[in-house]
Amino acid sequence: MRGATVLQVANLTKRFGGLVAVNDVSFDVRTGEIVGVLGPNGAGKTTLYNLLTGFIPPDEGTIRFMGGELRGMAPHKIVRLGVSRTFQLCRPFVGMTVLENVLVGCLAQPVPPQGREARARELVEQVGLAGKEGLAVEVMSYGDQRRLEIARALATGPKLLLLDEPFAGLGSGEIADLSALIRRIHTESGLTVMLIEHKLHEFMKLVDRVIALDFGELIADDVPERIVTHPRVVEAYIGGAAPDPQEEA
Amino acid sequence: MFRDKIDLTGAVVFIAVMAILPVVFKNDYLIGVLTVAAIYAIWAVSWDLMSGLTGRENFGHALFIGAGAYTAGFLNTVWGFSGWWSIPAAMIVASLFAVLMGFPTLRLKGPYFALAMLSASVIMQRLMLIFWEYTGGEEGINGVEPLIDSQLSFYYFTLATLVIVTAGLLAVARSNWGLILRAIRGDEATCQAAGLDITFYKIASLVISGAIAGAGGAIYAHYQLQVSPALFEVVTSITVITMVYVGGMASIYGPVGGAILLVLLTELLRDFGEWRLMIYSVVLILILFFLPRGFIAPVWQRFKGSLGRSSS
Repeated sequence: MRGATVLQVANLTKRFGGLVAVNDVSFDVRTGEIVGVLGPNGAGKTTLYNLLTGFIPPDEGTIRFMGGELRGMAPHKIVRLGVSRTFQLCRPFVGMTVLENVLVGCLAQPVPPQGREARARELVEQVGLAGKEGLAVEVMSYGDQRRLEIARALATGPKLLLLDEPFAGLGSGEIADLSALIRRIHTESGLTVMLIEHKLHEFMKLVDRVIALDFGELIADDVPERIVTHPRVVEAYIGGAAPDPQEEA
Repeated sequence: MFRDKIDLTGAVVFIAVMAILPVVFKNDYLIGVLTVAAIYAIWAVSWDLMSGLTGRENFGHALFIGAGAYTAGFLNTVWGFSGWWSIPAAMIVASLFAVLMGFPTLRLKGPYFALAMLSASVIMQRLMLIFWEYTGGEEGINGVEPLIDSQLSFYYFTLATLVIVTAGLLAVARSNWGLILRAIRGDEATCQAAGLDITFYKIASLVISGAIAGAGGAIYAHYQLQVSPALFEVVTSITVITMVYVGGMASIYGPVGGAILLVLLTELLRDFGEWRLMIYSVVLILILFFLPRGFIAPVWQRFKGSLGRSSS
């Protein structure tokens, strides 16, 4: 399943004034992997995504995607190269239907053989929203909005999909369903996936490997079984944010 | 919204009524009012394409209107070009203004675009006064030639322009381009995450919007046979924005109705003298307060809905 290195991040650093949000972070992602990004609130997970997708420029370091340098590229160009993301808070296009939302994701791509609208319908179906094409997004449940976000991201034809806390705010049943969906998309289309989450049981089962961040630094890069006992990860979670033993794998 | 069927019947009825009114009443005053209404409608629909669809409000549409009108004025009176050069030239000049304004400000989030447009129109008005030797100052440029001698024919020319512009902008709004503009209104970051170059779409839409407003400005110059710095005034922009709000933002056809309604209302209230502006303002506030989605477009949709129910 694991192939060549698709993403190579080296010495990535971002400062906001005196705060070092991402500090000298280096890691690789290989084709077909599902890589988890773990860390307490404020560890720099979302900032890392914003750097990878061009939403904010890094101060130092390099981001190589399939051999090309992403640093300094505009977000929409990075998307066209095959790096797509979702947002932590769902950000659908309010005032538009489910189908229109997904269709927007198809517009920056060359017209697929079946046409853009048919492609958008396929994606809506693929994420389990069949029958809801004409629904206004604002009346959807949070879980469905998450699926919509994933459909919109898939519409851009990504090779690497970056999910930002896809399980946040969902019930345990919804988490299991969404986790199964991510796994299915991953196996069906051979996507490489990164996902940010806290230490959830489902999350640990889903990922092949975990990158743990704390105060902007990469503190561990290992398989899930070893991450949960990694001394620096345990230390990072000590206190109020300590992992719930019942939720651990 | 996006894939609604085009309401051809409604459009034909509207055009027929607008075309027959001056024939029935044979009244020069009415023809004049309708001509002005059609010109305001051109300005309102052009505002709606950029600002209505993307939600980036342009508080200086008068910049494009005035630029178009002065282009017509200079070409026709100073350099002696035929009046028919005015419209294409005005569109080019207004487009240049749109690029000049859009390029630095539409890349930024926040109110910079709205404020820059507002300031630019005010600055242009001042420049017209400062360079009075060339621009005629407060008096403006007089002696602009009429495009068409017959007032009725000129009205039909203006109405035809309005119909073409509205049909064209409706086509844009219903295309993928329109979908992108509405997505920009929804969330710019999500658009970027969808791989769209939002700055390009915003600037290009402003150019289209500005070019059409400039064309309207040139038509206005050839109707008034005169241009004055008042065209650049903030009140021109606010009037256009109000027409869009009354008509129903982002519907394209709504602002046409809003413009005609408000121009007619202004004429009806002329007898009230000093009270006119106040009554006008109260009517506006009531509409904005109680009908935030506008007046014309929602009422029209409800009317169509009831027709559909009774006939089926």
